[in-house]
Amino acid sequence: MKNEYLPYKAIIKSIQKESFDTNTYKVVFSDEKIRNSFDYKQGQFAEVSILGIGEAPISITSSPTRKGYLEFTIRGAGCLTKKIHQLNVGDSLYVRGPYGNAFPYEEIKGKNIYFIAGGIGLPPLRSLINIIMDNREEFGNVKILYGAKTPDELCFKQELEMWKKIPNTEVWLTVDKSYGDWKHNVGVVTELWKKTDVCSKNAVAFVCGPPIMIKFVVMKLIESGFKNKDIIMTLERYMKCGIGKCGHCNVGEKFVCVDGPVFTYEEIGKIPAKERAI
Amino acid sequence: MRRKGRKIMTLKKISKADVLELLECCAKTWKTYVPLETEGKDILFSLLPTSGSELKEALGKVNLNDERVIISPKDIFFPQLDDMFYFDKDKIKENVEPPAKKLIFGVKPCDAKAINFVDEFFKRNFEDIYYLSRTKDRLIVVIGCITPPRPDACFCTSAKTGPFANDGYDLQLVDIGDEYLVEVGSSEGENFINSYSDFFKDAQEEKLVKAQVVKSQAAKNVKLKVDFQKALEIMKGNKDLEENYKRISERCIYCGGCVYVCPTCTCFNVFDEKKDGNGIRRKNWDACVFEGYTREASGHNPRDKKVQRTARRYEHKLKYDHSVTGSSGCTACGRCLTSCPVEIGMSKFIQEITEDKKGA
Ligand SMILES: Cc1cc2nc3c(=O)[nH]c(=O)nc-3n(C[C@H](O)[C@H](O)[C@H](O)COP(=O)(O)OP(=O)(O)OC[C@H]3O[C@@H](n4cnc5c(N)ncnc54)[C@H](O)[C@@H]3O)c2cc1C
Ligand code: FES
Repeated sequence: MKNEYLPYKAIIKSIQKESFDTNTYKVVFSDEKIRNSFDYKQGQFAEVSILGIGEAPISITSSPTRKGYLEFTIRGAGCLTKKIHQLNVGDSLYVRGPYGNAFPYEEIKGKNIYFIAGGIGLPPLRSLINIIMDNREEFGNVKILYGAKTPDELCFKQELEMWKKIPNTEVWLTVDKSYGDWKHNVGVVTELWKKTDVCSKNAVAFVCGPPIMIKFVVMKLIESGFKNKDIIMTLERYMKCGIGKCGHCNVGEKFVCVDGPVFTYEEIGKIPAKERAI
Repeated sequence: MRRKGRKIMTLKKISKADVLELLECCAKTWKTYVPLETEGKDILFSLLPTSGSELKEALGKVNLNDERVIISPKDIFFPQLDDMFYFDKDKIKENVEPPAKKLIFGVKPCDAKAINFVDEFFKRNFEDIYYLSRTKDRLIVVIGCITPPRPDACFCTSAKTGPFANDGYDLQLVDIGDEYLVEVGSSEGENFINSYSDFFKDAQEEKLVKAQVVKSQAAKNVKLKVDFQKALEIMKGNKDLEENYKRISERCIYCGGCVYVCPTCTCFNVFDEKKDGNGIRRKNWDACVFEGYTREASGHNPRDKKVQRTARRYEHKLKYDHSVTGSSGCTACGRCLTSCPVEIGMSKFIQEITEDKKGA
C-alpha cells in the first residue's frame, strides 16, 4: 500500500517573479524514479510543503506535454507560502500528488475555447492553455480574458504576449486600477464582453478566480447562451490531505480534492446551495 | 473479517469467571484492548500490558458490564494524535505502525458497526496507510448490551444497530447469566475459539433459546425510540430544515465534543512540529463545527455561519453518508447527547424533524 502522505524532495531550478506577491517555481524531483513516474493531467494539483512549516494544495501550472519538471505559481498568502517566497534556486520543496480530477481535454477538441480568469486564477488554467497551444491545430478559436487588480498583479506577462501571437488566439487584459503605460482595459473582467465577441456556439468556457468574480462571469456566460455543462470551473476549498480523508474540503457529498477541483456549472448546481459558496 | 453471520459446527460458551484468565492469556500474544476503568471511574478502551504485575493490576480494572465507554474504540485505529513521519534537514522517516495481532474485546454492537463503517471510509478513493495498517490481523469480540449503557441516550433499536449485532464481528458474546454464549461471525473468530479451546466449552442447544430470550428482553430495555427511517427520508427529501438548524445553532456552543466522541467522525488536521531542525508531521482530530475548519488562506470561509456548520453535521451523518454508502453515519450510540453541555444530540434532532413531541 502506498503511503500517500509522504512527500518527495524537489529542487527549485528557477524562480520567475510574476507580481509583488506571486512567483513561479520550476522544480525537479531529486529522485529519478519519482521524476519519471509523476504523471499528471491538466488541472490537477499537488500538495507542496516545507518540512516543519506545513503543506498547501497548489495547482500544477506546467503542462504534462512538457516533461521532467513541474511548475507552481504561488502567491505569498500565509505561513507556508510566504516562507516559500524566501527560498532560492537550489533550495528544496517537498511535493506529493498529483491529486484531484482534471480539465477535459479530448472532449473539447475542435471547439472554440474561452479562458476567463481573475488574479491567481490563471495559474490553474495555464496547464491546459499550454497543451492546447502545443496542439493548436486541433482546437478552434481560443480567447483568453484575464483581469487583475493592478497591472503588476497579472501573472505570466511574457506568455500572455506569446499566446497573443499564435493564430486564432486572442488575449484580452483588464485591471481594476491602471497606472504607468497601461494600454489595455480598465474595469472588471465582464467589461471585456464589450471588447470581444463571446459566442457560445461550439464553445466551452473555463473560469477560474475569486468566488465573486466567478459568480458574475457565470451570469454573463449564461446570458451569452452558454449551457451549464459548457461552463467549467474550479472550486477552491481549504484542504489538508488532498486525498479525500481529512474532510476539510467537503461540499455536499463530494470532496473537492478528489471529485474536483474541476466541476462543470451543471455539477455545481447539484451541490446544495448552502454548501456551494459561489 | 467476513461480514455475514455464519453457522458454527458446535455451539460454544465461555464462563464469565474465565474471561479474565482468557484475556491474561491473550495479552501475551495479542495486543489486547478492553474497556478499563480509569482512576476517575471513566471507562476507556485501553491496551493491556503484556505480562507481570502490571497486567494483573490492569485486569482488576476490566469492566465489561457497565460499558459507558466514553470514546468509541475508533481511536485504536485512528488515534487522536498520530505521528505520520519524522524528518531532519534532509531525511524523512515514516512511522507506520508495524502489523500486529490485535484483539478488541468487549466492543458494543453500535461501535462494531461504526468500526466497519470507518474501515470502508479509509479504503475509499485513496487508501490511508496509517489507519489501514492498524486494522490488519484484527479480531473484534462484541458483547451485546443487556441494558443500554446510556439509558436516556441509546437508541440502537430505532437505527437497527443493536442491542446485538447481526454482522461485522468475529465473535459475539451473549450474556446468558453466569456464562456467555458465543456467536461466530468469521473464520478468524472460529480459529480464535480453536486456539483457546480450554476456555470455550461445548454448549447445549437449549442455550440458544435462552440467548433468544435475552436478546428480545435486551431490545425491550432500550426505552428511547425515534423514527430513524422517517428521519432519513426527510433528510433525503426537499423539506426545508433551516429553522431546525437555526434553533440548534442558537444553543450549540461549538465545542466539538460530539464530534470527538462520535464513533464515525473521521475529520483531522495535518500539521508540523519542529525543534532544532528535527520535526514531526502529525494528524490530529479536527471538527467540522469549528469556524476555522473551512477558512481558506484568502480569509474567505464558505461555512462562516454557525447555522451552516450545524446543518453540515446533521446532513453529513444522515444524508450524505447514507447516499454514498447506503448506511447512515449515525450508529445511535447516544454519545453526542450524553457529552453535550447543552443537551443537543442526534436523537433529539431526529425527534425534532420527525415532529415527535419529545424533541429538543
Ligand atoms: C485545489 C487548489 C489549488 C490551489 N492552487 C494554488 C496555486 O496555484 N497558487 C496559489 O498561490 N495558491 C493556490 N491555492 C491556494 C493555496 O492553497 C493557499 O493560498 C495556501 O493554502 C495558503 O497556505 P499558507 O500556509 O501560506 O497560508 P495559511 O498560513 O494557512 O493562511 C494564512 C492566511 O490565511 C488567512 N487567515 C489565517 N487565519 C485567519 C483568521 N483567523 N482570520 C482571517 N484570515 C485568516 C490570512 O489571509 C493569512 O494570511 C490553491 C488551493 C486549492 C484548494
Ligand atoms: S483535502 Fe482532505 S478531504 Fe479533501
